[in-house]
Amino acid sequence: MAFEVMVDADTLREQVKEKYRELAENPRGRFHFHTGRPLAARLGYDESLTASFPDSAVESFAGVANPFSLRSLSEGERVVDLGSGGGFDCFVAARQVGPRGHVVGVDMTQEMLVKARGVAAELSLNHVEFREGLIEDLPIEDGWADVVVSNGVINLCADKRRIFSEIQRVLRPGGRLQFADIANGKPVPEAAIRDINLWTD
Amino acid sequence: MLKEAGFVDIEIGTAIDTFGGARGEKNARVFDVYGYPFLAVKPE
Repeated sequence: MAFEVMVDADTLREQVKEKYRELAENPRGRFHFHTGRPLAARLGYDESLTASFPDSAVESFAGVANPFSLRSLSEGERVVDLGSGGGFDCFVAARQVGPRGHVVGVDMTQEMLVKARGVAAELSLNHVEFREGLIEDLPIEDGWADVVVSNGVINLCADKRRIFSEIQRVLRPGGRLQFADIANGKPVPEAAIRDINLWTD
Repeated sequence: MLKEAGFVDIEIGTAIDTFGGARGEKNARVFDVYGYPFLAVKPE
């Protein structure tokens, strides 16, 4: 079955949390992925927009592609970011939707939430908020969102069927899912999928 | 997976060499892993 859960969801969640706690507290540490401004440039984000943000808004960014590259957001749209981390994609979204829009970042890592909320306050982004929660059980009401975005997060979750069901729940009819994630061109053996360390290293 | 989840008008953007030059590049190359942007719509 395409959606089969092949690893223990709670164990994976704790490993992911530990990795991203480290990224929040020590963004210049050694990771297996690129981070920060160099990564944003590599993924094709608008460099003038990125340059307008303070380091604290960008340094813990660890996305895998640009969820705004296929379509920009429109003024006034309501946006949910799944696994918002340090908030970089929320800040990009906030600029695109403007003050008449609203952006909600959802993350399970306390250190990331603290960091993102601090930056939003520093930037006086009153239409951006960060909520603690799991993306498998979003703290968002039914049909609230015009757009759901996410970047490099869904691949780190064991039960993708549940996540896509939650996305369907929070999107309004006609709403969009714009996300970036990794995909493999060669089949991954079952033994490798069950090796939880490969999910986060 | 997106289609199975009920989304329509699915688009997949250009592949990005997300891990090139990073410590995770070796594992990424083994399974030909790249980053992609996706766009999908919830039906009206």
